[in-house]
Amino acid sequence: MAMNGVNAADAVRDTIYRATMYLDAQKWEDWLGLCDESFHYAIKSFSPEINYDMIYLQGSRKEMLTMMRLLPKHNTDHSPLSRHTSVYTVDVAPDGKTASAVSSFVVYQNMLDGVNAHIDAGESRLFLVGKYIDKLTIEDGKARFIAREVRLENRRLDKGSHWPI
Amino acid sequence: MPARNHAQWTATPPLKGDEWIDSRIYSDQAVFDDELERIFKKVWVPVCHESELSKPYDFRTFSIANEPILVTRGPDNQVRAFLNVCPHRGMLIERRPSGSFLEGQPSGNPKRITCMFHAWQFDLKGNCVYVAREKEGYQDRLCKEDVGLRRLRCEVKFGGFVWVTLDDNPAVGLEDWAGKPFECLRKTLEAEPMEVFHYHKAIIETNYKLWHDTNSEFYHDFMHYHNRVTGFNDAYFARKNESFEHGHVVVGTFEVNYQNYEGFESRAGLSFPHLPPNQWYMIDLFPGFNFNLRGSALRCDIVTPLGPNKVMIEFRGLGLKRDTPEERQTRINHHNSIWGPFGRNLHEDLIGVTGQGTTMRPGTEPRRVLHGRQENQTIHDENGMRHYYDEWGRWMNRLPNDPEQPWAARAEAQPAVAAAE
Ligand code: FES
Ligand SMILES: [Fe+2]
Repeated sequence: MAMNGVNAADAVRDTIYRATMYLDAQKWEDWLGLCDESFHYAIKSFSPEINYDMIYLQGSRKEMLTMMRLLPKHNTDHSPLSRHTSVYTVDVAPDGKTASAVSSFVVYQNMLDGVNAHIDAGESRLFLVGKYIDKLTIEDGKARFIAREVRLENRRLDKGSHWPI
Repeated sequence: MPARNHAQWTATPPLKGDEWIDSRIYSDQAVFDDELERIFKKVWVPVCHESELSKPYDFRTFSIANEPILVTRGPDNQVRAFLNVCPHRGMLIERRPSGSFLEGQPSGNPKRITCMFHAWQFDLKGNCVYVAREKEGYQDRLCKEDVGLRRLRCEVKFGGFVWVTLDDNPAVGLEDWAGKPFECLRKTLEAEPMEVFHYHKAIIETNYKLWHDTNSEFYHDFMHYHNRVTGFNDAYFARKNESFEHGHVVVGTFEVNYQNYEGFESRAGLSFPHLPPNQWYMIDLFPGFNFNLRGSALRCDIVTPLGPNKVMIEFRGLGLKRDTPEERQTRINHHNSIWGPFGRNLHEDLIGVTGQGTTMRPGTEPRRVLHGRQENQTIHDENGMRHYYDEWGRWMNRLPNDPEQPWAARAEAQPAVAAAE
């Protein structure tokens, strides 16, 4: 049964905030558990330098899962990330079955490695600024991601990251 | 050998003199200042790709050795470079990274390069065409003809890259500078127009040469899980490192098995023109520019040294201009899954050179950094770096393994090495 608009919007917000907490905790499978089988993930940014709307990373749910499972084989910066997300708008479709949402986020890098861990560890630095543009499906009172576009303002990304944002 | 005491740790390694360097070449301010003067103000620098200035009046701004540069495409379609400095009172003329002079500005007219400060205007050839209240202020003592922009040598070459040098009389022309190392990919890169689809930058605390080293040595493929599973086979270990005049190096190709990395696919369907499937070529140009073609996508790294222990690296990815949207998507995925800011390999490379930068900060004890692997000039031979530092030593008139000594001291100190070459 379709929910009323207020409840549906609450379900969407709940899913977005849960995703933020799972991503911060690096619980990749729990994060993907909030995503529909048809989920598509993309990190994008517009570059005025080359006048091009770029895709920095993209993948299906399955591709993201494979990538995350291979992480232990890769050398990765150890500094955990903290995302601060604010859901700005939620627009629920008239039939109450889908919704789109725009959230703002900043991502801090909580230095563990840094450049010199002795000096840098324990410091938090601003890493990324952007917006989440999400599409969700709503079923049985729960919202699940169909698509997440991470729109970065940054093009200076320094060491970069192996993790979804 | 067990762990060493200080004397053992700082002793000369049991290698030839050109098989290691002294880390002061990565950490000394005086060496760095010399590098800007003696090298970066003299060489050809690939500042961008012409597709970044695809229309007349488009511009891009850069800097080389602290000097601000403006590159723009004229109404005659010619790409020109100028110092981005106003001849009046030194204002930076264009402040943005990119844009079009077709738009008017608050201080000036469309189709003009206008300095916002006192509204002097220049045409796209760098001629001064307007000085506000010229006669009233300068009478006949100074006129527009006296105050044109500073033009810089600029050429579009080797697949549409825009090359600039601050030297009006470079020791060699661009063709002689880089034609030979580009030979292996020239037909491929010049077969049809290319287009940039990727740009990002990293500013990291390491020396620019350590980034170039990492692009020139493949022994560090041990750090990349992706490269181990898709690469390590007989053909990989047979790849050649070829040295070219002026300090350049080319790493020869082999066929990469991308499908050996779970979730990755062969790139055979989108090979660049005239190339067999899944080839991987690397061109490393002195003193820090890199062109890296993995089958379906070209990557270009440009370093801008900011200090002995600080460098900006700009990363570009290119495909073919005629790509369909689907082809472009695939190329982007191929490029970014390995080389993007969230890709599998680039993050590892940047962690690696940052770690080197940490141990070789200004003020740290001089260290020996080895590049003495000899494997018949194949992939894990470190001849590429040895070749580079030979060139560096000549330009700098310093010995890479003893930077206080002039280059000439090398022959006396190391007769065996000189004879071996
Ligand atoms: S500084 Fe440019 S017009 Fe005066
Ligand atoms: Fe690498």
